[in-house]
Amino acid sequence: MAATAEARGGDFPVGMKVLVVDDDPTCLVVLKRMLLECRYDVTTCPQATRALTMLRENRRGFDVIISDVHMPDMDGFRLLELVGLEMDLPVIMMSADSRTDIVMKGIKHGACDYLIKPVRMEELKNIWQHVVRKKFSENKDHEHSGSLDDTDRNRPTNNDNEYASSANDGGDGSWKSQKKKREKEEDEADLENGDPSSTSKKPRVVWSVELHQQFVNAVNHLGIDKAVPKKILELMNVPGLTRENVASHLQKFRLYLKRIAQHHAGIPHPFVAPASSAKVAPLGGLEFQALAASGQIPPQALAALQDELLGRPTSSLALPGRDQSSLRLAAIKGNKPHGEREIAFGQPIYKCQNNAYGAFPQSSPGVGGLPSFGAWPNNKLGTTDSPSALGNVSNSQNSNLLLHELQQQPDSLLSGTLHNIDVKPSGIVMPSQSLNVFPASEGISPNQNPLVMPSQSQGFLPSIPPSMKHEPLLASSPSNSLLGGIDMVNQASTSQPLISTHGANFPGLMNRSSNAMPSPGISNFQSGNNPYVVNQNAMGVSSRPPGVLKTESTDPLSRSYGYGGSSSVDSGLLSSQSKNPQYGLLQNPNDVTGRWSPSQDIDSYGNTIGQGHPGSSSSNYQSSNAALGKLPDQGRGRNHGFVGKGTCIPIRFAVDEVESPTNNLSHSIGSSADIVNPDIFEFSGQM
Amino acid sequence: MIMPHTHSLLLVFFGQCFRICEMWRKAADSRVPLVRQMKDMPEPNMDYSNLRRQIISMKKSLFDQGYLDEQFNQLEELQDDSSPNFVEEVVALFFKDSSRLLTNIEQALEKHPQDFYRLDSLAHQFKGSGSSIGALRMKNECSMFKAHCSNRNLEGCRRSLQKMKREHATLKQKLETYFQLLRQVGPRERAVNSWK
Repeated sequence: MAATAEARGGDFPVGMKVLVVDDDPTCLVVLKRMLLECRYDVTTCPQATRALTMLRENRRGFDVIISDVHMPDMDGFRLLELVGLEMDLPVIMMSADSRTDIVMKGIKHGACDYLIKPVRMEELKNIWQHVVRKKFSENKDHEHSGSLDDTDRNRPTNNDNEYASSANDGGDGSWKSQKKKREKEEDEADLENGDPSSTSKKPRVVWSVELHQQFVNAVNHLGIDKAVPKKILELMNVPGLTRENVASHLQKFRLYLKRIAQHHAGIPHPFVAPASSAKVAPLGGLEFQALAASGQIPPQALAALQDELLGRPTSSLALPGRDQSSLRLAAIKGNKPHGEREIAFGQPIYKCQNNAYGAFPQSSPGVGGLPSFGAWPNNKLGTTDSPSALGNVSNSQNSNLLLHELQQQPDSLLSGTLHNIDVKPSGIVMPSQSLNVFPASEGISPNQNPLVMPSQSQGFLPSIPPSMKHEPLLASSPSNSLLGGIDMVNQASTSQPLISTHGANFPGLMNRSSNAMPSPGISNFQSGNNPYVVNQNAMGVSSRPPGVLKTESTDPLSRSYGYGGSSSVDSGLLSSQSKNPQYGLLQNPNDVTGRWSPSQDIDSYGNTIGQGHPGSSSSNYQSSNAALGKLPDQGRGRNHGFVGKGTCIPIRFAVDEVESPTNNLSHSIGSSADIVNPDIFEFSGQM
Repeated sequence: MIMPHTHSLLLVFFGQCFRICEMWRKAADSRVPLVRQMKDMPEPNMDYSNLRRQIISMKKSLFDQGYLDEQFNQLEELQDDSSPNFVEEVVALFFKDSSRLLTNIEQALEKHPQDFYRLDSLAHQFKGSGSSIGALRMKNECSMFKAHCSNRNLEGCRRSLQKMKREHATLKQKLETYFQLLRQVGPRERAVNSWK
């Protein structure tokens, strides 16, 4: 294995980075030896949750993943889905089980290949083709698309690029350069290091939050049935975007919606109707409305989409006027589809949203007492936890994004609202500060609206933790479902508008799109809602509702949600799902309350939450709470990326251009350990 | 008087010395073969050949009797100078882990009510592990066990578990002997597959 480094440079596939995940130590050792014989760069990991964390922290650190199907802490198929969504890396499944139906399941979940144990050397020698194939197909998708030089995109993606580049620092071989190239096609072309390998590199379309928001808006406008790439392209009116880009993105979006719909089939969405209206009312504040409106996706559209997915009546979503706020609500509603899980979340989410709008004090000085906050408690989604809560959570995430924007805006509002939230009985007492923190951490300038937009939540999610926190406060309702929902939401929001496909994300997605909207919309948001929104988003992202995750091992929704939020959290969420929807949130709020420090708290919060997750949810949350105290800078930084600068989001989008946005979200979220969201989500659900 | 006395004593003394020397010489002689073996001198080629033949025949019988399969060959091919004891290490790791699994299965079987899903999952782990080192008989017995689990046949599971334990113990013993032989031929000679 000597000279792997030099080999890596030009002796493909030597040095290809493989991550092997298997709970069987014997198999792990044998595989490692075999892969070393193939001259690959091998990393082994006996725990799926830890592997996921590793991947989230270092997206570019691996080229291909080989995973066992039966593992104690996480189902291999779930890991497969998450990795595919968040990181868009080829995953090879492996098992002693050779039954056709299981193999079929693997393929359906997106496995590049399925190896039957015992694995032979010859089989391993060929795994490099999966990596190359994926890269080539992605390049082809963007053959016709030039770099999107949308200024809006540039802004949010700036951070993203930076983020991505830092994540890529490890890569110095052709692998990395190729991958990087694909991701940064906009302004960070220079981020790529190393000369691209022989394969042609076409700039990939980075589906940033704003862009996705625009996309979702366009789709909503046309109606999901009538949305054809050509028309969507026209509506979006983004220079440099080609029909092919839109087509592939639409395809992913549709898959996502389908998955969400399947996932939520039969899940009541009581929230959607009542919550939205309830929220809308209290929001009153311009900010909220702006937030909703900023979502760009008219709440109706969101609702309609969600309904479509879920088969629910769309009336609930009607949030006319307020762009952002409505959007948020829509997002929230969308979350509802999450289903049972979300129930718990759903409630809080709505609430959070309200808070988000008003209470995004995040970093900014005081969002100015979001009036909505008061409304929050009222809104208490109290309606059955239903998934909508979750949806809301995601919305919150989106709002988190907005929040960041709002940061600049009246922080006082947020703080005011936040405090209100604290009052809320919900177990998730997320200190309002946390919300504030988010924005702060995000450091999103109001200008960054796009990110702030709730839909942006993707990016914001990480930073929004504080806002999320509020949500939980409000959401006292079944934390479990909420959390789940929130996570889902978060995921949705974070991953990118497409995340909505995850189901719950829908609203979140919407938000995202809204984020993409030009700042004007966002600015409204920012003023009041943003902080809130952002938080929501943030929440959504991080708080992968454990419940949600667990239930659906294969459900893209859950996956995206869970993972989107926080890398580590996800794992925790997954495992703990039943246990604690509230776990994260409850604890956090306590901790958080103490700290309203800007984003920092959130970060720490978020981070902790994320980190705390693996394993027991309750413990995770607690840990996250503890973490709240210490604001890991890194976490924050990450959040910032997401929220403010939209780095988070863009990265995700960038990564997955072709893949579902959720991936991006998850990626960004995952990467930013600081995604406090997971807890936030829980809270929001709790609301 | 003294002179003759001393003289006899000296004679006795020298006689003793001579005997001791003889003893040493004999001892030295007997040690020579060991030394030669340890140094891997060409002289013990005959011993090596014997050992090699023993090893080859043992491996063949393990394959013929179905204790091992092709995967074991794959493992041996992975062994080289950089990891000279690879196969032995992996096998040791397997036996340690599988013993634990067997215990878990046994405990799970005794629980009431039996959790067949969990039993199947444990057996599945065992099967995957065993297949990684080429333990064919054990792998087959695991499949039988899993079949009994899906039929919720408790008695069948119990019987199957006993068989698994027997196979486990037998394979462990046989492989231990096999590795002992391999150790005798020395690291450089361990590449059994190259002996043909």
